[in-house]
Amino acid sequence: MSFLESRRNFLKGSAAAAVAGIAVGKGVFETIAEANTQQSTQFTNTPKQINFYPPLEEWDDFKELDGDDWKRGGINRKGVQSPDNPDGIYVNDFVIVPTVCSNCEAGCGLTAWVDKKSMVVKKYMGNPLHTGSRGRNCAKGYAVWSQMYDPDRIPFPIRRAPGSKRGEGKWVRVTWDEAMKEIGKKIAELLEKGDEVSRKMFIYHVGRPNENGFSGKVPHTLGFDGFDSHTNICSAGAREGSIQWANDDRNSPDWANSRLVFLQSSHLADAGHYFQQSAGYITDARKKGAKVVVLDPRLSNTAGMADLWIPLWPGTEAALYLYLANRVLHEKNKNGEDLVDHEFVKNWVNWKKLMRDKEYLNFIKEKGYISRLPKDESYESFIELLKEMYKPYDLDFVVKECKLEGQEYKLEKLWDMIVDAGPKITTYLWRAGTIGHRGGWMNTRSGFLLLALTGALRGDIGGVSWHHWHEISVNGKFFKATVAGKAPGKVDTWNDYSWPPEYPLSTYEMSFLLPHLIMDDEWRERWNKKGFKIADRIAVWVPRMYNPVWINPDGFRWIEALKREDKFELTFNPSPTWSETNWHCDFVLPVGLSGERHDQQSSPTKPERWTAFRQPALRVALEKMGWKPKDPARATLEAHIKAGLGEVWEENEFWANLFVHYVDPNGKYGVKQYWASKEDPSRPITIAELYDAAFSNLPKLKKAAKAAYPNSKYPCYEFMRDRGAWTEETNVYKPQEEEIKFDGQYYYIHGEKVPASEVEKDENDVLYHNGKAFGIEIDGKVYHGFHTPDKRLDFFVDWLKEYHWPEYAIPIYPKNEKERKEMVHLVTQVHHDFIKKDNEFALNTIYRLPYNIHTRSVNSKHLMEISQNHNPIWIHTSDAKKLGIKRGDKIRVRIVDTVSGLESGYFVAMAVPTEATRPGVLACSHHAGRWKLKNAVEIPGFEHKLGVLGLGAPLYKMEMDGKIGKMRAKEGIKKGLLKRKDTWQFKEINKDLDNIWWDGLTGAWQNAVAPVHPDPIAGNHAWHQKVIIEKAKPGDKYGDIYVNYDNNFKTYQAWRDKLTRPIDETNKWRRPIWIKRPAVPLTKHAYMNPMYKGEA
Amino acid sequence: MIAQNRSAMYGLLSRIFLLEMDPDTLARLEKMENFQDLFPNYFEWEERQKRSRYKLVNEVLNVDFADVAVLHLIPYETFYTREDGMIESGGANPVLQVYNDYGYRVDYEKARVVSADHIGVELEFMRLLSDAEARALEEGDEEAAKQLRGEQKRFLQEHLLQFAPMYLINVAEQARTPFYKDAAKMALEFLLEDYEYLSGQ
Repeated sequence: MSFLESRRNFLKGSAAAAVAGIAVGKGVFETIAEANTQQSTQFTNTPKQINFYPPLEEWDDFKELDGDDWKRGGINRKGVQSPDNPDGIYVNDFVIVPTVCSNCEAGCGLTAWVDKKSMVVKKYMGNPLHTGSRGRNCAKGYAVWSQMYDPDRIPFPIRRAPGSKRGEGKWVRVTWDEAMKEIGKKIAELLEKGDEVSRKMFIYHVGRPNENGFSGKVPHTLGFDGFDSHTNICSAGAREGSIQWANDDRNSPDWANSRLVFLQSSHLADAGHYFQQSAGYITDARKKGAKVVVLDPRLSNTAGMADLWIPLWPGTEAALYLYLANRVLHEKNKNGEDLVDHEFVKNWVNWKKLMRDKEYLNFIKEKGYISRLPKDESYESFIELLKEMYKPYDLDFVVKECKLEGQEYKLEKLWDMIVDAGPKITTYLWRAGTIGHRGGWMNTRSGFLLLALTGALRGDIGGVSWHHWHEISVNGKFFKATVAGKAPGKVDTWNDYSWPPEYPLSTYEMSFLLPHLIMDDEWRERWNKKGFKIADRIAVWVPRMYNPVWINPDGFRWIEALKREDKFELTFNPSPTWSETNWHCDFVLPVGLSGERHDQQSSPTKPERWTAFRQPALRVALEKMGWKPKDPARATLEAHIKAGLGEVWEENEFWANLFVHYVDPNGKYGVKQYWASKEDPSRPITIAELYDAAFSNLPKLKKAAKAAYPNSKYPCYEFMRDRGAWTEETNVYKPQEEEIKFDGQYYYIHGEKVPASEVEKDENDVLYHNGKAFGIEIDGKVYHGFHTPDKRLDFFVDWLKEYHWPEYAIPIYPKNEKERKEMVHLVTQVHHDFIKKDNEFALNTIYRLPYNIHTRSVNSKHLMEISQNHNPIWIHTSDAKKLGIKRGDKIRVRIVDTVSGLESGYFVAMAVPTEATRPGVLACSHHAGRWKLKNAVEIPGFEHKLGVLGLGAPLYKMEMDGKIGKMRAKEGIKKGLLKRKDTWQFKEINKDLDNIWWDGLTGAWQNAVAPVHPDPIAGNHAWHQKVIIEKAKPGDKYGDIYVNYDNNFKTYQAWRDKLTRPIDETNKWRRPIWIKRPAVPLTKHAYMNPMYKGEA
Repeated sequence: MIAQNRSAMYGLLSRIFLLEMDPDTLARLEKMENFQDLFPNYFEWEERQKRSRYKLVNEVLNVDFADVAVLHLIPYETFYTREDGMIESGGANPVLQVYNDYGYRVDYEKARVVSADHIGVELEFMRLLSDAEARALEEGDEEAAKQLRGEQKRFLQEHLLQFAPMYLINVAEQARTPFYKDAAKMALEFLLEDYEYLSGQ
């Protein structure tokens, strides 16, 4: 193109002059003076930028034009509503109350916009002061509003009708005090008896807590070992590997600064842990050039956006990690340097322990892991040992094991990315492979080996650290505001249902086996004969906001057990919504959701320590407007009644009231002191007292709060009440390398000056004072070190030897079919060895659906609307072709166990052939398929019916006879709901119920068909299933299930008896004493194995 | 007179590259006496005779505009000048300081751009500066006029000419209508000539 030759002399000729006449300029500039005048008026048409947020000073009183009203024409046409201009646009007068989302574990900040005139929350937005979520939320955050004003909210406490059986669906209304009286009496009976067995007959079964430390204090202050978490159906596999490496519960990546985001999960675009925050930080990293790799048999949204998707066979991830470790050990970078970060490995991995243990080295030689013993105990010999041990994990092996034939090029690409990233690799090993499979925990062991070798596990910028350093847990540290003044002592009993002798290394409680164990008389007698004291029943079972009937495997077993009043004497569910579980409880006590309760919550979403404060928005708004409760220890309940939300309470105040007024009113059981206020011992602790004490444990927060509220009685509480979020520390990198000062004579440990003569050092260079390890000496310097007993990262986990698993004390994975038979504990129950015929598949069940993380969000109008038809069964096109299955076909998915060989039954699902899953592997998330047995419940004496899950669950018919359970959908959603579309609750907000267009939710209740698969080591339920598929029979309906739960019971026994290695007379402790028992601390006496024959 | 004429040229070019065409503006352009000089190929283009202006604008020209100014080509300075090819839409955009120094702020609602360094906005800023120069000359303030010319030269050198030639060459090559091809050529030639003119002052 010759631009310069055709000069037209605009300026000399007439060209420009002619243009001057037409004046078409747009005039996009305004002067700053004009702009300022515009800003100084109260309302503008549109905020200048989309991240507009009112400044903190205006949160107590912020006026905003009404969005709905705006539809009549903006302020340019109508002006602002005022007495002179009644037709103008309505102005909302808001109190903006910060709170925290509770629809997943991330704890993103929210703000509730409370309308002062109506005392209705008009919307939930983000909280810009929350440094983890940065003002952003996902769909679940904004949906909190539709949960709050759910037309089927339970408006008051209800009790199973006298004379009716559990699950019959007959309910009566009770007051909170009536409920507390009955519950308190039952708990007091246990305390009155007070013996070892009574103290393990209470179980508080907590779904995802979304708080840091409060719930454990409920059984702890009672002196009961009675805490069950949901962890073993969620993430216990991953945690086992993390505990072995670092004695920390989970890793904590610095996504934003990494160069390679190496996922086995869907953090970027679906629902991986801490999703919305993780996704933001991963996106930040990508913006800076980081690559994303996803190992997943399914093309998740995240895999779809990744630079590389590796659809390996599910459960073989460990093989791939060891292959990569092998290459890191043997290859060099382009400068000819080793890829192993020797400085890090030499100082921070516990190789010395292994090299000293000649007996163990001989053992692994006999096992064939190595062919010769190392020539000496040097670091170099350790590296040589690793090189030999991992050499067989080569390309041929990994391609066969992971079934990646034809995809070798992807492994090469992945390798290049790993070499490029150096120590800046991040991952978050959590669900996916680690919870899907038997031996899933070896995923974490081998995955972290790769990260340890490359130095990523140092936890420096862009690497991977550990969660305790990036989280704040103070919700249970409030006792200085109570009469007791300090936390209760350790509990002196051991709950065998949560921690059975077969699973001493189980990461968390075996809560998903509770209904099996409790109905297994033979099991109980067998152990009781050996000196155990296992209770024959549970006196009080409290599933906190939890729904194990539906979300745990083998749901019919749960129902069977819960119906047994001789096994579960009293049950109550503090729950904001209806659920399949509370349908089978004695009491349902309505408690608050995200903007209706107090919790301190923190999550390890980045290398810093932030905490957020969940609050009941209506209560805080009322108090700010001058309202005062009659009883300050019940303010949340009173505020919710006053604001028209219903008799909705919260756990903090509920438990304090229950214990002080109904369990231990005289203080004779020693429980009251932990819940009665120091200021006024006659009443329970108030929220302001509790949280002022809890937050004052954070020194920087305390200082800032005192400065901001110099005259306040509760400055820390008020500071958090007004802001909702606080960041105590930023840039927390490689804290293990923080030095402990030593001046040649004294060590300075946590402010204490300890003379060198009082400090002992062991053969691992760990330093002890008064028998407690406080640091580690490396090259003459003293560091804090990791949380393991040897203060290093444990490649070699010697205590696995003690607990009878010596062959797995180092990261290892079977290399051929013979080894897979010997090392069956590491082999997934859906390994391709077990999948031979054309109609046999591995079923991938555990990916989370982004809109339905918790069962409590089931009836959110917004979330249900976007979740329609999202959960068919995915089948690879080549498999579908072979079997003649077409899109939309109904298929029966029969679940078969590969340990017991028994069949569990089937569910009927809709097939969708797709190339977004790998051949041989089906995908169907277990996060769908909710059900109800009645559309609505009549409450005697109450004028309205209470709707049951009107928006979120179709109506089912259930049959069960003790052995076989069946379910079939009777009616979709519309019919039941349209009957009561003119809802009596929150009418204005639910006036669109006649717009409900969905009639069912795809997905059967597959969890009920699934038998339990307790991993023999980590104790987690291994979710994936071997299935056989066939076309549906005539008359089959979507969502049908047929379950032989008698067979499922035998499968539970088979996994327990064929695979575990229980503790025996050689084990002094029921569990390694250095691994934290979550939630309730126990005495050494409680840890003692009653069968132990050695020295006391 | 030159300052007024230059201002008019900048105004015209800004209008063309900032927003899609509309029948009214197009009519006014087509009625300019030297229209054929400025848009020679468009002037000869048969297609334009086959349609009403309304259809021409909505079915042809605006489709092309979407291609060359919204979807496929990126008319922002920072896209060309930053190594990572991102548009700096925040406060760190270098042109903001210049606008600010002169007491101006971009009204984003009107301009409908994601950042202040859009070619249309920068051209409009040149129009403001040349207007100011014209006013200075009217008032006989030679010193101020000279200073303003210096500022215009600097703005061309540091901002517009850093990227506009590349963008405009791309438009001339990729546009599917003679209208935008002509406009791009005209803009490029004018900018270069204007820079020469300012350098000679």
